[in-house]
Amino acid sequence: MTETPIDRGVFEALVEMTGGEMEFVDELVDTYLDDGRQQIDALREALATGDAAALVRPAHSLKSNSLNVGALGLGGLCRELEESARSGAVPDAADRVDAIEQGFSGVRTALLAERADRSEPAPGG
Amino acid sequence: MSPRSTQGAGEPAFSGPAADRPDPDAATENGRILVVDDTPFNRQLLSRLLRTIGHEPLEAGDGRAALELLRDPSIAPVDVILLDIVMPEMDGYETLAALKADPLLRDLPVIVISGVDELESVVRCIEMGAADYLPKSVDPAILRARIAASLGQKRLRDLEREAGERQAATNDVLAIMSRAAFDLQVVVDAVVQAATSLTAADFGVIYLHSDDGYRVAATAGGSPELDAWERAHPIPPARDTLVGRIALIGEAIRLDDVLADPEYAPSAGRQIGGYRSLVGVPIVRDGAVAGVLALARNVVRPFGPADTALATGFAEQAAIGLGNARLLETIDRQRAQLARFLSPQVAALVSSPDGESMLAGHRREITAMFCDLRNFTTFSETAEPEEVLGFLRLYHATIGALVVAHDGTLEHFAGDGIMVFFNDPELQVDHAERAVRLARDIRERFKDVAADWRRRGHVLEVGIGIATGYATMGRIGFEGRYDYGGVGNAIILASRLSGEAAPGEILISQRTHAAVDGALGAESAGERQLKGFSRPIAVYSVGPGAGVGPDMTANGPSEVAS
Repeated sequence: MTETPIDRGVFEALVEMTGGEMEFVDELVDTYLDDGRQQIDALREALATGDAAALVRPAHSLKSNSLNVGALGLGGLCRELEESARSGAVPDAADRVDAIEQGFSGVRTALLAERADRSEPAPGG
Repeated sequence: MSPRSTQGAGEPAFSGPAADRPDPDAATENGRILVVDDTPFNRQLLSRLLRTIGHEPLEAGDGRAALELLRDPSIAPVDVILLDIVMPEMDGYETLAALKADPLLRDLPVIVISGVDELESVVRCIEMGAADYLPKSVDPAILRARIAASLGQKRLRDLEREAGERQAATNDVLAIMSRAAFDLQVVVDAVVQAATSLTAADFGVIYLHSDDGYRVAATAGGSPELDAWERAHPIPPARDTLVGRIALIGEAIRLDDVLADPEYAPSAGRQIGGYRSLVGVPIVRDGAVAGVLALARNVVRPFGPADTALATGFAEQAAIGLGNARLLETIDRQRAQLARFLSPQVAALVSSPDGESMLAGHRREITAMFCDLRNFTTFSETAEPEEVLGFLRLYHATIGALVVAHDGTLEHFAGDGIMVFFNDPELQVDHAERAVRLARDIRERFKDVAADWRRRGHVLEVGIGIATGYATMGRIGFEGRYDYGGVGNAIILASRLSGEAAPGEILISQRTHAAVDGALGAESAGERQLKGFSRPIAVYSVGPGAGVGPDMTANGPSEVAS
């Protein structure tokens, strides 16, 4: 694990976009996490059937959603996979999907931690 | 009093929850925006942003769902589409192509949502007719600006299209009115059709005032069942119906939802029609509510001030149509009344376009026929007055019917004297011949009448004079008592010839004789010295004809004088 998987600036922009309504931010994050889980399942399925073209859409969706919540690293991984899949051949697809799943897991932890930080009073004022 | 739109204070129709509803036409800044995106995250985010900046978002998960929603008539129209490109089922390109191929959806602005790394796709979409594009990491200020721009374009296009449609419909109605100005049914049919389609109403009705309330005169768009119900139930002025309320206050009314209106009484008609949003405008004539134009939508989609204004314009055209029809009815009634007092030709002349100039006086060749009774003075002195009146009634009825049958213009009945013109005011090429035929028929018909009276001891015979020549015809008399008559030598001569005629004789002047070209069995009866004429006048006597009636010409060649 290198740095935090969430870009603070982008996440703050998302918060600002919602007018600072944290309940809605939480809803959005939940949607992102549910949807992301489904996209990863779709990637796994495409991998199992060896259908490179079927990687495109889930990679695309996860990419754009990730970029919106500030998961820039994960978004980058998804973009690379999307582009390769569009070109037709992805020799190291399994590794890349593993990396994406790992990345997603890190993003999930970070997003939930951010939420927990907000609901807990800041330690030591 | 001109119908007014009922906005603002004192509006009686808006009450309860309806008053809180935003005015549909006033919301020029806000739009209904359809978000088409397969990921719930994006839909949720965009919908939220749209709501924050005052728009109403709708969502679809792919192109197919979007098209279904756009084509669903029960869903209010969308103003702008936000379209994702990469989607399952039907992607952004296919969706865009389908939209552009649909004449009803072609003009909807489409904003493509795209990542910064997808500029190629954006170019392709714009080439396919997309209005604009938005980056995926959307900035609210940019979203607001792009949607406002697209909305502005759409509103402009809508306005242009509506203005064009309204102009065309108004022109149609005006054209119909100029073609069939006096046919009220044609006018109200055209008005209700145009108003219903232009306001996107489901049902339109024109009610006209009658003795038992406001009755349906024309409908558009309703089911036969609803139509029949409305026609069978005239509406009295009362606050519990739209039409009744307009009849009471004489102003336009909009009801956003009839079910939310505390005074509206849901009728069986409403049950059948299922209407919810209503607008009605009065058809005003002479300051009274002569009718109501009512429009209904079967869903709660309130009519706006623009709809009211449009309906008011059409109601004014209906009012003009109504005025024309009433005018025609009045003229017809007057003509019918006049015809009882005047010769039908004169009655028609009075109400004809050139009536005034004809009445003012004109010179024309006419044939005049004068008919009176020999021995009438003796008869009226010796018979009982009741007998005299009874005889005159029979005489007038008999001759009157013949004058009408021969298309003569009756100038007057005066006791036993009757004056008839031909060739005025109605032109008759064969006026001399018509006069002679009438005279012969009178003589023939009178034989029976005379025989009857001879049995009672009274010898009565007709004497008839006919003359042809120029006379000045027109209104004769003084203010308050005018007759249609003529002045001229021919008229005096006809009168003198009638006086000169022996019992049962028809004397015609030389000109009349020349005009009938010796036909109809007239023979020279020498020259007569007549009062008022300095020189002796050549006269001809018409022999007995065989037939009775204007079309009887069987007395043909054998009788023609050589």
